[in-house]
Amino acid sequence: MIEFINVSKKFNDLKVLNNFNIRFEKDKITCLFGPSGVGKTTIANIAANLTEIDNGEVKVTENAVYSFVFQEPRLLEWYSVYDNIDFVLKNVYNSDKRVNIIKDYIDMVELKDFESYKPKELSGGMAQRVSLARAFAYPSNVLILDEPFKGLDMKLKREMISLFKKLWNESKRTVLFITHDVDEAVTLSDFIYILNEKPAKIIDYINILEYNDVSEVKYRLDI
Amino acid sequence: MKGSILQSKYNKILIALFWIFVWEIFSLIIDQEIYLPSPITTFYALIDMLKTTDTYITILYSTYRTVAGFLISCGAGIVLGYFCGINKLVYDLFNPLIGIIRTIPVMSIIIIAIMWFKDTNVPIFVAFLMCFPIIWTNTISGIKSTDVKLLQMCKVYNINRLRIIKSVYFYSSIPYIKAGMISALGLGWKVTSAAEVLSLPKYSIGRFLYDSKVYLEIPDLFAWTFIIIMLSILFEKLLKIFLRGLYD
Ligand SMILES: Nc1ncnc2c1ncn2[C@@H]1O[C@H](COP(=O)(O)OP(=O)(O)OP(=O)(O)O)[C@@H](O)[C@H]1O
Ligand SMILES: [Mg+2]
Repeated sequence: MIEFINVSKKFNDLKVLNNFNIRFEKDKITCLFGPSGVGKTTIANIAANLTEIDNGEVKVTENAVYSFVFQEPRLLEWYSVYDNIDFVLKNVYNSDKRVNIIKDYIDMVELKDFESYKPKELSGGMAQRVSLARAFAYPSNVLILDEPFKGLDMKLKREMISLFKKLWNESKRTVLFITHDVDEAVTLSDFIYILNEKPAKIIDYINILEYNDVSEVKYRLDI
Repeated sequence: MKGSILQSKYNKILIALFWIFVWEIFSLIIDQEIYLPSPITTFYALIDMLKTTDTYITILYSTYRTVAGFLISCGAGIVLGYFCGINKLVYDLFNPLIGIIRTIPVMSIIIIAIMWFKDTNVPIFVAFLMCFPIIWTNTISGIKSTDVKLLQMCKVYNINRLRIIKSVYFYSSIPYIKAGMISALGLGWKVTSAAEVLSLPKYSIGRFLYDSKVYLEIPDLFAWTFIIIMLSILFEKLLKIFLRGLYD
């Protein structure tokens, strides 16, 4: 579980968070939903301990191991698709095990024929899938997904979403999921926080389990 | 495609001929071989030179000195640049020293080196002191240019420092190091022959430059200068081919 208690964060003079509180439940998928620039990525970075906060406290269950699908793919452009995934798994698995795991995940994101390609030779959506494979393959217990399915066509997006669901059902992780897409939010999330205003405020909170009818949730998201 | 390559070769030859023509005109106007020998005289001087074995031995020795100075600069510049790039304290320690080396006039370095070293090693040492700061600076700029976003990604995935240095900083700095090596090599040729003129090793282009001044054999001076330019261009090409093999 990750919990923000009265967290404040400024960039120069811009207050992004002011006494902000939020919880990401253990092994649940929590969605951050809100307009561009509201501070979603900032919250994700703070949760992953990549950004220092000015005030407040961030409580993280010990032994948190992260993986992160960033808003951009963030691949090492001098390494192939295969080596980019190998890069993060090197300290985790021995080489025999790695080979199988990497091949499996490259297969899952449908890049089988591209494992020796360099990032520059990939399309945006392909690079995004490498970033997904890297995050899924890494044995984390906290998974942060910052607009993970952008740049994918409808069919691939559906496939990646069901892949994510399947992997998550096989081994649960605490997921922080950021999206602008109402359908994605409704299909995947357990909880949805709707953010707005500056500094960011939670203007609505939805527990999907309380709803039988998704159209009602969609209605609330359609602000 | 092929046509345009041919075309550009053809253009290059025309441009070269144009400037040789300009040179010829000036030498006709001045009409004194001592000030400006004509292209033809220079060409004959060059042909004469290329008939003696001493010329080749001289070229080999001067090349050896330039390349040695260059390689030592690369080795020291890259290694020290790395440590300075990733550690602020090491950087602060070495920065003033290298700042001073950078501002010392070449002539002072040459004269000091003549007191310290055997004549044949003076140019190597001087080339090293001149080229090393370039490589050092470029290595550091390369490391500083590393994308913070990639470093964040490494932090998330718990990549240890040694592997970050090997797999991230190293590749990020390569384009900068390459550019530094190319400018250092060009400078190396100039500095080496300057140091040779003052230290006068037995076989050295610098000694021949000096002699041609003393004996007023100005076409020889031009011919040797031409040789240095050609060597410099040739080695820059070789270096670029070698560097292309590395990651771009
Ligand atoms: N490193 C930074 N330096 C300065 N300002 C920043 C920095 N990172 C974010 N900001 C500012 O903080 C605010 C929130 O940015 P953030 O990236 O968290 O938004 P977001 O909700 O993720 O938006 P989007 O949906 O467009 O990705 C923005 O106004 C942005 O300009
Ligand atoms: Mg964002």
